[in-house]
Amino acid sequence: MAQEFWQEEFETLGKNSLQKLQVERLNKTIEHACRSPFYSELYSKKNIKPGAIKDISQIEELPFTTKQDLREHFPYGFLSLPKKEIIRLHSSSGTTGNPTVIFHNRHDLKSWANLMARSLFCAGIRDTDVFQNICGYGLFTGGLGFQYGIETLGALSIPAGAGNSLRQIKLMRDYGTTAAHAIPSYLGRLYEVFEAEGLDPKKDTQLKTLVIGAEPHTDAQRKRIEEMYGVRAFNSFGLSEMNGPGVAFECTHQNGLHIWEDSYVVEIIDPETLQPVPDGEYGELVMTTLDREAMPLIRYRTRDITRIIPGECECGRTHRRIDRITGRSDDMFIIKGCNVFPMQIEGVLMKIPEVGSDYMITLETMNGADEMVVEVEVKSDWFRGDIKRLNSLSNTITRQIRDEVLAKPIVKLVEAGSIPKSEGKAIRVTDNRKNGLLN
Amino acid sequence: MAYEVSIFLENKIGHFERVTKVLKEAQINIRSMAINDTANGWGILNLIVNDPHKAKAALSEKGVSVALRKVIALEMRDEAGGLDDLLMEVAKAEVNFDNAVGRVITEKQKAILILNVDDYAESIKKLEQQGVQIIDDQTVYGTS
Repeated sequence: MAQEFWQEEFETLGKNSLQKLQVERLNKTIEHACRSPFYSELYSKKNIKPGAIKDISQIEELPFTTKQDLREHFPYGFLSLPKKEIIRLHSSSGTTGNPTVIFHNRHDLKSWANLMARSLFCAGIRDTDVFQNICGYGLFTGGLGFQYGIETLGALSIPAGAGNSLRQIKLMRDYGTTAAHAIPSYLGRLYEVFEAEGLDPKKDTQLKTLVIGAEPHTDAQRKRIEEMYGVRAFNSFGLSEMNGPGVAFECTHQNGLHIWEDSYVVEIIDPETLQPVPDGEYGELVMTTLDREAMPLIRYRTRDITRIIPGECECGRTHRRIDRITGRSDDMFIIKGCNVFPMQIEGVLMKIPEVGSDYMITLETMNGADEMVVEVEVKSDWFRGDIKRLNSLSNTITRQIRDEVLAKPIVKLVEAGSIPKSEGKAIRVTDNRKNGLLN
Repeated sequence: MAYEVSIFLENKIGHFERVTKVLKEAQINIRSMAINDTANGWGILNLIVNDPHKAKAALSEKGVSVALRKVIALEMRDEAGGLDDLLMEVAKAEVNFDNAVGRVITEKQKAILILNVDDYAESIKKLEQQGVQIIDDQTVYGTS
């Protein structure tokens, strides 16, 4: 039988050895973290010292780290190394608030690339594959994250970037692409372009494997993608705070995502009580980096809701599996691969005097693509009866929201008073996409 | 100067009717109407009514986004070629308009063309210089 693992010595570690490795690495991580302004202050206040962890369960005694902490200590408050050691940053959008920025030194990038290669390998991708990365390069981690992983694995990489469907199809056909990575909603759109060109990806490409991630999707959506393209599609999970892609990945058994426990401590907590929940129960994913030097994060609350799938995987990897992300413990949503908080949209609207601050966001599937519809009230006393003025307002709002969240919205002006007033926790987002795209 | 009543209207069932109901209760007589749809889910309803100020007050009170806009009302003959003759004069005066609506005042005799223009004062001046007859408000609004 051919080689089954990228790093058998890590991927098949027994529970005790894995936990021992985690304890050793967690103490090292705490040591690193204590050199950052944020953790050195927090840990000296709480009297937490490197070497304090004897058993991995003691991690529960450490305080959580939140996205808010990252924003408040922007940009360098979490840096554990002198800036001279840092060789790359990745950052979220955010023109109103502080972006979330993560720094890497050479070791971190190597470690990330290795995890990414391990992830691709476990989904059956090999150095003989031609891998097309259909994903934005730049600050977004999906581009460079996959790029380094593909190169580390040794496959032929095509750094295609996002969009331009005709070019994507041409690249696939010219170079005999066998594997590709894209966000699931884009693959629906790309398929329509195949059809419009009179092509069938099942016959007219050599695709065998698709990697889909960066956007929550259902198993039904995955199956549709597999049918459309005649491939097997594997779920990829990552978040920039934990490097990006390559945090957890499906193996060829397609039954949950192995989360790499030699590099992360994984906890699932009840987001209300903050107490751990047993394996099998849904809760918020909390993660700790174990192999990152420039910017360790300890007990980071990801806000993603998932569960640990109990039991062992037939593939032989001992690292536990998490289930698909089913939601968020905050109100963030993902559209066109971009993370969007309703507060960002509210922030944009509040700066536009012609509109009220009440708004409604509806996520819809239109013509095969996911769209974010933002309904905004036009203030009565601003109205002058002029269509040109209203159209120009609508364009301004569209542009400013796109600049803020990177995804272009469909802005709909509505009559004053037609949107429910925000009282307490008004629901501002309706998601009608459920199975929408691919069903 | 005459006014038309402009109303912001979403293209949704019942929204137009909400407006006409308010006008009915306020005893407003609608002389002419035009809807400009934008294909963005909303449009503008333009009305010529017998009492625009009263109509605006009634609609505002119900929370409708409403505005009064100055319009220019021009006389034309109610016969074949009446509009063409008038537009030739308007063109000579170099007046450009966004929206227009027409209405018969006296069958086979008199009709009016109501225009929206960008620069009201300038357009009036040009039309007067061209000798185009501008109709008084009472004729535009009609006798209720």
